Amino acid sequence: MATLLVIKEKLKSFYSKYEAYLVPVLKFTAAFISLLLVNKKLGYMTQLNSTAIVLIVALLCSFLPLNLIIVMAAAFSLGHVYSLSWECVIVLLVLYLLMFLLYFRFSPKDTIAVLLTPVCFALKIPVVMPLSMGLVGSPASVVSVGCGVIVYYVLSFISRNAPAINSLDADGTLVRFRYFLDGIMHDRAMLVAVAAFAVTVIVVYIIRRMPVDHCWTIAMITGALMSMVILMFGDLKYHTNISIVGTIVGSIAAVGIVKVLQFFVFNVDYSRTEHIQYEDDEYYYYVKAVPKMTVTIPDKTVTKLDTRKPVQHVESGLSTHRTASQDVAPHRASPESTSHRSFASAAQHTQAKSSMSSKSDSPSAKGSSSQSNSGSLQTNKSSLSTRSGMQTKPSGTRSTQGHSNSR
Amino acid sequence: MLNEERIIMMTRMAAYESGEGKKDGAIGSYFRGDYIGLQVLKSVISATIAYFLVCGIYLLYHFETLLDGIYEMDLWGIARKAAIAYIVTVAVYALISYVVYSYKYGKAKKKQKAYMSRLRQLSQLYQLESKNKQSY
Repeated sequence: MATLLVIKEKLKSFYSKYEAYLVPVLKFTAAFISLLLVNKKLGYMTQLNSTAIVLIVALLCSFLPLNLIIVMAAAFSLGHVYSLSWECVIVLLVLYLLMFLLYFRFSPKDTIAVLLTPVCFALKIPVVMPLSMGLVGSPASVVSVGCGVIVYYVLSFISRNAPAINSLDADGTLVRFRYFLDGIMHDRAMLVAVAAFAVTVIVVYIIRRMPVDHCWTIAMITGALMSMVILMFGDLKYHTNISIVGTIVGSIAAVGIVKVLQFFVFNVDYSRTEHIQYEDDEYYYYVKAVPKMTVTIPDKTVTKLDTRKPVQHVESGLSTHRTASQDVAPHRASPESTSHRSFASAAQHTQAKSSMSSKSDSPSAKGSSSQSNSGSLQTNKSSLSTRSGMQTKPSGTRSTQGHSNSR
Repeated sequence: MLNEERIIMMTRMAAYESGEGKKDGAIGSYFRGDYIGLQVLKSVISATIAYFLVCGIYLLYHFETLLDGIYEMDLWGIARKAAIAYIVTVAVYALISYVVYSYKYGKAKKKQKAYMSRLRQLSQLYQLESKNKQSY
């Protein structure tokens, strides 16, 4: 566990150092993978179906806002489907427009779920998305995950039925249009997946918020089980032809992946290094604010419990009763003598943390910072109160206030 | 002379200004009613477009049936049903928008209030510094 924590801290420091390069690289990777998957799944337009084009577009996406990746992926899918049949393009375009007009106006940050859900489906680990969104999102994330599921199943339907759609050429526009709409509207597997993932997001969200130990882990496992049960029930009832082994293995893998994500991503404050410029009447300030690392080495407190019985000194004829407190007293003396120094350093530590750890933009980052920082604060406070008693209280209160203010 | 406390405060404020502050500033520049009203209006327009898109798809799907039986249809009744469906859709969507944007406005105002209080603290720090300079 200690090694993992060290890796986590190293990751944090690495991210804060190279954030300027890492974010574009991550965006590039996301864009590259999603566009390649679209090309692999559809790939009807030869102009778009080239790695060079994908590379250029992914490079472009790496320097532009994150939501542009979704726009590009949507444009690629529309281009490919246009090569197949323009009736399908109309339906797909209307679908994208409805998503944008009705939901993503409210929460543009959630649009990434629409991109990642089909990617997770392609990687055979779709349960990762409802689990993740339940852990870091809100109940409204049901809509974004649902939209992602719908997009995946619509694209899958096109991919599976492309020869049939082509063969309907002679029958006219309206027949193809109706065939496509019927196929989407009556896709039971899609409806079951939407229902399963919606329930999973809500269950995970509710359990995650419960004041219970290990609620995140419980939420993950319960969510995975819930989605498995609903998907299998849907298969029994509506014959959706899902692979039962695949669902079980995928759900177990999803729990593992989300557990890793929880450790390295969800609960970590990847605060950003900020380059800020401002001025007052006297100076120009060019500030580089580097987030402080909140590594807390747990204080070791040694408590000696002396359970020895009173010793009879027969030789001298005296009976001496030695109590536990008397025994412990000499051990206490040495920490007390150092209490002022350690208190001061801990107070400095917590104050410094509160001064700089407030720089977290995303709500998820805020949550994670509060967890990790409050944890370290408690460690310091408890260790101090053990050692120096009353003297630590004002400092503990002050540093906690500072911390809450900073948030 | 450089005041460390003041620089930390100014850095935090500058970081807020360059990040979330921009968005909050745009929201805070409106009165509550104006902001929510504008957003609800945008939502009504969005809902109207979405409704007509769905209607278009529905009409295309049932195009042949509609053409065949257009003379036997109760067009007035269909129009009335469509109008009721439109009003219900738009009203529900506008209500959701009202709740969401009220919450967003309240949140932005709260953050701006905190920012203003920091601004006041900063001004007090400046005053204190200038007093100290004069006393020397």
